Amino acid sequence: MVMSFFRKGDGGLDTIAAHTVSMLAEARHSFDLSSMALLSGADVEAVANDVRATDERINQAEQDLRGELVVHVSVHGSDDIGEVLGYTLLIKKIERIGDQAKNILDLAEEGVDLSSASDIGELSAIRQTISEMMSEAAELLNEHDQERADTYRASADTLRGQLEGRIRECMHSESPGHEIVPRAILFRYWKRIVANLGSVVTTATEPLQMKGYLDDGATDVNG
Amino acid sequence: MAQTTAPLAPKEMPTGARAVLVVTLIYIFLVGVGLLEGGIKVMGADTQAQLFEGVNNPLAGLFVGILGTVLVQSSSASTSVIVGLVASGALGVDAAVPMIMGANIGTTVTNTLVSLGSIRQSEDFKRAFAAATVHDFFNLLAVMILLPFELLTGWLSGAAESISEQLVGAAGSEWKSPVKKWVKEPVDWLKDGYSNLGLEENTLGTIMVITGIGIVLLALTFITKNMRRLVADRVERSLNAVLGSGGGSVAMLLGMIITISVQSSSITTSIMVPLAAAGVVSIHNIYPVTLGANVGTTITALLAALAASKPEALTIGLVHTLFNVGAIAILYPYKRIREIPIRLAQGLAQIAVTRQAVAIGYVVVMFIVIPLVGVAVFR
Repeated sequence: MVMSFFRKGDGGLDTIAAHTVSMLAEARHSFDLSSMALLSGADVEAVANDVRATDERINQAEQDLRGELVVHVSVHGSDDIGEVLGYTLLIKKIERIGDQAKNILDLAEEGVDLSSASDIGELSAIRQTISEMMSEAAELLNEHDQERADTYRASADTLRGQLEGRIRECMHSESPGHEIVPRAILFRYWKRIVANLGSVVTTATEPLQMKGYLDDGATDVNG
Repeated sequence: MAQTTAPLAPKEMPTGARAVLVVTLIYIFLVGVGLLEGGIKVMGADTQAQLFEGVNNPLAGLFVGILGTVLVQSSSASTSVIVGLVASGALGVDAAVPMIMGANIGTTVTNTLVSLGSIRQSEDFKRAFAAATVHDFFNLLAVMILLPFELLTGWLSGAAESISEQLVGAAGSEWKSPVKKWVKEPVDWLKDGYSNLGLEENTLGTIMVITGIGIVLLALTFITKNMRRLVADRVERSLNAVLGSGGGSVAMLLGMIITISVQSSSITTSIMVPLAAAGVVSIHNIYPVTLGANVGTTITALLAALAASKPEALTIGLVHTLFNVGAIAILYPYKRIREIPIRLAQGLAQIAVTRQAVAIGYVVVMFIVIPLVGVAVFR
């Protein structure tokens, strides 16, 4: 432990960035498991333990990262204060993604099973897209590639629009409530996850004052 | 994270260049100590006797040590000056011991002042103030135990003298320090430069002393600043590793290593205060780090002794180290005794959080009023 002082290696915000990427990977794991439980009819109980354990790890990672950020500011002073504030927003977004993945699991635990839905192919494709977006967001946290980030955010906006459309369809659907309500809730969670992923990438590339807002100036808190 | 590049931001100095700068600054620091010693020697014997007559009383010495350290906000600086004075022969080891102990108390003012920064957030302030003042109470208790013991038995100075005798020779002899040879030339240049102005002995000596103290303070300031930049990532990494899961002795070792690296216990202890305020670490985690910092900061006086020509300089440097190690040996191993400074600090923080004037009053009375009155009464 004390010897870590003498070891060569990354320190400062590089270490915090690496821990943040790990946290995002945990969120992806949780999202994949929860969505699979809902869409592929996997054993919900088996999945639930893993999702809850992952959620605890995500929450612990958030607390640890907060501590590391305070240590960073104490040691380095205000040199990186913009980035530190950005990270506090970012880790909260990732923690929310973990919570939303758990919310999707709640649907499965309530007995919702969409594995035999007529549009299961489309639903699975959306799940796959969101999962891949999580992986790409992690890459962008390391790369700071502005052009790629812009493309990512545009794709996220498009997907959010599509999910918004699906929610509207549900609102005007004449299908029975027990069929349509779970779908509307699922689309809502997915939309929130996509919005949070967009914010994660925004945090990685935009100045601090822009973080947490969508392109049209509206806050993404309820987006 | 967005990488902002401010057009006016200064370029970061390469690590190698900064390391060379630090070595140069250490050399300049040693020149400052040499100049201080030389300046005192130039003064007449009567002037020397008059200057230090007042601190022959141990309590006066203790309060001078507190006050001097509070003024320069660095025990590294004040103990280096004490080493320079002992090296010149004007100040005896016995008279310097209480001053060294006073420096230990005075240095705790910095992190206490840092804790006042969170005075508006009551819970944060309570944690921060307790974390800062645990250092004060530990050092106060250490002096309350070890100063009378030293005055009665002389064990601290005796042990330090034995060690320095083994290392560099007996008291009263001339120590041919290799470092002294390296710094002799610039000291002589400066002395010759001032002598050419045709100054009389006491004035020349006074100017040399002032220049020496100025060089010591400036060099230490820049050493600390540059070392902090050099080791910041290492400090951050090891703090994260140790504070999460390390025990007391590991935290103590870390406090010592960080302090030796940045040459300032105030930096180490002040880093801990915001962590305590934010609730990232508890007072129990911070306490051993500050004790390690107490030991780590003694390296500067030992370093200063390398530029001196008398074994007594090393002796007083070792007194500083032994005092802090001894205090830990007495106050830390047993849980009941170990908890005393923590309870006192938490008690004071509890009062200070409800009456903030108490916190400010504590700093003013403890670090300014009492030392000033003490110096006035006992000198």
